[in-house]
Amino acid sequence: MNKTTVTGWLASGVLLLACAQTAIAHHSASMFDFRKTETYEATVKKYQWTNPHGWLFLSVKNAEGAEVEYGVELTSPNLLLRRGWRPTTFQVGDKVTVVTNPMRDGSSSGRVVSVTKADGSVWTER
Amino acid sequence: MRALLTLGLMLLAVPVLAAGADVSPGPKPARLPDGKPNMTGFWSPVGGLLDRNFGPGAEVAKTTGAQGAQIPRSPHSPLKSPYKEKYETGLKDAAAGIVRYDPTGLCMPPGMPRMMGAIYGMELLQTAGQVTITSEWQAASRRIWTDGTKHPPEDELLATFAGHSVGHWEGDTLVVDTVGVRDDVLIDQSGLPVSDAQRITERIYLKEPGILVAEITVTDPKVFETPWTHVRRYRHRPELRLQEFVCAENNRNVGSNGEPVFP
Repeated sequence: MNKTTVTGWLASGVLLLACAQTAIAHHSASMFDFRKTETYEATVKKYQWTNPHGWLFLSVKNAEGAEVEYGVELTSPNLLLRRGWRPTTFQVGDKVTVVTNPMRDGSSSGRVVSVTKADGSVWTER
Repeated sequence: MRALLTLGLMLLAVPVLAAGADVSPGPKPARLPDGKPNMTGFWSPVGGLLDRNFGPGAEVAKTTGAQGAQIPRSPHSPLKSPYKEKYETGLKDAAAGIVRYDPTGLCMPPGMPRMMGAIYGMELLQTAGQVTITSEWQAASRRIWTDGTKHPPEDELLATFAGHSVGHWEGDTLVVDTVGVRDDVLIDQSGLPVSDAQRITERIYLKEPGILVAEITVTDPKVFETPWTHVRRYRHRPELRLQEFVCAENNRNVGSNGEPVFP
């Protein structure tokens, strides 16, 4: 995935989805590095409630202060629902702190470990 | 009104186990009118993804995640060449982060015996002459004919993901024989292979209230030196019901050119 700078109009779901679609595979857990975790502050751009995996698309400030687009993978909505997650749990613009197992190749994605919202609620899949 | 909305949002923000979409069907009789033990219901593997907060299995789920809920190979069943070499290469590649082919990553059904891993739980239905098992993950479904149906002759046997299953009752145990599974399914996420010679026998029974057991024996003389058995336990979950799962909704392992992204 290209570390594209996300401007306001670029942040449409369609473009975010297209970006993720070309680069990110599901059910290929070997692309994630489960020995590492990465934590970052982010703004929710899209919360996608789809099988086989849900996704959070995020805007993250990198070390240079530029906004970088991340797409991070959740488990299936079938399981998220039973964990208390809802399609309304995250709204566009929500400020979140995300912990992921990052990609081995360093691209701007990862497998979600937890998401903490501004109200302090912590969301995990387990 | 605003206060109510705020309260509603606060309630939504609290993660809880109970999901509004799952409705309890109430208590069920121990036996069906035909006298057979009543296995109908929704079951989730002990220690699996849906088994949080239920005894020691919950710890297993925490440490092993999804793979812990899949069908693992017995340590007492060495592989034969060339499957052995291929499997070991796959393990090395996975350890190195190389994405390996997995049909389920293309939204194909897990097939047998992998679907009995039932990581999202499974629905078992007993009807006259037939037992139907649907694993929520990948919506994988199989039918076990209990009406005396025999396997078709070899040249009429269509290779399928779930295979052709016939069953009979030995006392309170459902004994199932499965053949005709495609040779391109994998037994688990590690890439354990099967051949066209795979035969699966299962002994399925209720062990104690609320616990279903499946003793799954894989005989595949082309792949394994000896048959091996995996014993899987499932917990009755009357508060859960099978949910739709359509993997094709967002099948990302097919690239924009329509080709699989696996190497």
